[in-house]
Parts: sequence; C-alpha cells; structure tokens
Amino acid sequence: MDMTNIRFLVVDDFSTMRRIVRNLLKEIGHSNVDEAEDGQVALTKLKASTFDFVVSDLNMPNMNGFELLRQIRADATLKSLPVLLVTAEAKKEDIVTAAQIGASGYIVKPFTKATLEDKLGKILAKVA
Amino acid sequence: MGAAAAIADLGVEDLEALFDQVAAQSAAGREEAPAGPQKAAAARAADAEPADMFHRVGHLTRTLHDALHELGYDRKIETAVHGLPDARDRLNYIAKLTGEAAERALSAVERGQEIQKSMGERIAGLSASWEKLHAGQLPVEAFKALAAETRNFLAAAPKEVEETNAQFHAIMMAQDFHDLTGQVINRVVTLAQSLEGQLVKLLIETRTAEGRAGGEEWLGGPAMNSAERTDVVTNQAQVDDLLESLGF
Repeated sequence: MDMTNIRFLVVDDFSTMRRIVRNLLKEIGHSNVDEAEDGQVALTKLKASTFDFVVSDLNMPNMNGFELLRQIRADATLKSLPVLLVTAEAKKEDIVTAAQIGASGYIVKPFTKATLEDKLGKILAKVA
Repeated sequence: MGAAAAIADLGVEDLEALFDQVAAQSAAGREEAPAGPQKAAAARAADAEPADMFHRVGHLTRTLHDALHELGYDRKIETAVHGLPDARDRLNYIAKLTGEAAERALSAVERGQEIQKSMGERIAGLSASWEKLHAGQLPVEAFKALAAETRNFLAAAPKEVEETNAQFHAIMMAQDFHDLTGQVINRVVTLAQSLEGQLVKLLIETRTAEGRAGGEEWLGGPAMNSAERTDVVTNQAQVDDLLESLGF
C-alpha cells in the first residue's frame, strides 16, 4: 500500500456523514476518497476499482455494514482489505459480531478527529 | 434510549477493550468458521344533540371494543401503543441532539466572528499606517512602532488562522447529528406506520354495511403508488376518505 496516497472508500447512507468523514480524512492528510451510499454500492465499487481502506457505517439499507464486511472477507481479492466500522450501534453484541467477522476497528458515533486518526494509525501500522 | 443508553452503560474505553479482546480471539478461527449473521425490528356529531352524540360515541366505543377483542387487534394495537413511550423518548433524543448541534454551531460561528473581527480591525489599522508612510506622513518613531506592530501581527496571525479553522471544524462536526437523528426518525416513522396500518385495518373490518357499500368504489379503485406501497390503504388520501365515510 502506498502510505502517501491511500485510497479510501467511505460507506454511509447519510450524505452528511460521508462528507464529515471525507473532511476529517482530508484534515488527517488523506484526500483520495470515494463514497458509497450502502453496502451494495460499496461492493460494486470495490470490485470495479482498487481501494486501500474502507470506512463503513453499519446500519444501512440494501446491504448493511456487517454483510458488506462478510462479503469483503469472503472475496479472494478483497479479503485482506482494512475495514473500519464507524457506527451509532453501541450494543455489545454488535461489537462482538464485528470483531468475529473480521472488522479492523470499531468507532462509535459521535466521534472526534483524534479518535479517527488514532484508529487509522493503528490499523495502518498493522497493514504496513 | 437505545444507542445513547447503551453508550452510557458502556464507556468508550470499555467498548474498545471489548472489541480488541474479541477481535484477538476471533482472528485465528475466522476464515474457517465465520460467525452467523446477527440479524439484526366525529366531526359530524358536532351538529347533533348532546344526548345523541353521547349515544353515538358510546355505541362506537362498544363496537370498537368488541371488534378489537374479536379480531385480535386489541393485542396488536396494545403492542403498537406500547411503542409510543419509546417513540416519545426517541423524539426527545432528536430534539436534544439537534438543539445541542445548533448551540455548538452557533458558538463556533460567534467565536470565529470575534477572531475575524479582531484581525480585520488590526489589519485596517496597520494598512492605514502603511498608507501614511507611503504618503510621507509618518514620523520615524511612528514608523519604528509600525514595523514592530506589523511584525507582532504577522507572528500572531497563524495562530488566529488556526483558531478560525478550529471553529470551522467545530461547525462541521456539529452536523453529525443528522446521521444519528435520521436513524431514530426512521424508527419512529416505522412505528407510526405500524400503528396507522393497524388502525386502518380495524376501521375497514368494523365498518357498517352501509359504509362498506359507499366505500367500495374508491377502495377497489386504482391504487395510487401501488408500485411503492403494497398496502395501498395506508395512502393518506384513502385514510382521510375512509375516516370521512365513517363519520369522523
């Protein structure tokens, strides 16, 4: 992965949240960002192009974040892609499920730039 | 309520610790055995005599009560009504989040305006002095003071710019309520639709023979938005017509 130009896919059904995450990534130093409004659109984009990192919501129509994560982990090409879940779901069972099916990290909304930067740094350190 | 209460019960550090713990335990066995999905849930009476109206209301109440019981809707509506306190909590949560977001955004705007106003005044003062200098109207001592003041301003400016950007950041982050409230609103709308659907079904099944005869035409007629809604009776125009046909 080219750490100086990491290509992000931000997945969230709310356009305001996608813009916030996009802007936070830009403030952290990552400006190569694409967006998807649900898991289905995300999966199509992931298979059509090359991405280095996925930041995804959980609760979305058509395909939620859990299913997107399962599909990514089940795909031979995408299975090692870092997936950071950013969600309002704070239930223990959701966090356990996310970890079991292979999430790289889990952030509960609302969150700060410092939290995002910290999680990104830890995940990228593992990948590098 | 749901997410907020859960967060209150479980600190962020606890969440992170839990995640890390489970992730570590699951990492090895994940590929062989991925976990299963956690699946994610009377207006017309106004003209009537009071006694007549009382009788009609009483009759309607009796009919409603019997029908509810016979059709099993008492339990269904009870379930839906039990959702109302939760809906009220959710709406209060929305009011709280949107109110806080507005306060955060306005505070950031006010702070940003203070910084910009102060910078603008200092820039205007320095600019006027530099114009005097170029017009040959500034004594040497005043020029020395101007040079020192300009240097101080330039040294402080980056911090002021940074502080202004921090206010922009705060305004942006204040918008995160949309995502959280949107999810809550969707749940409340689902509850309202469920309640409405149950009540409309009840009204259809408890209408008098006279009411049915008068209503078949529009009930059996072309369904509006049928592509989007399977239960066309929940169309608001039909609901209004139905209520009107029943004397409400």
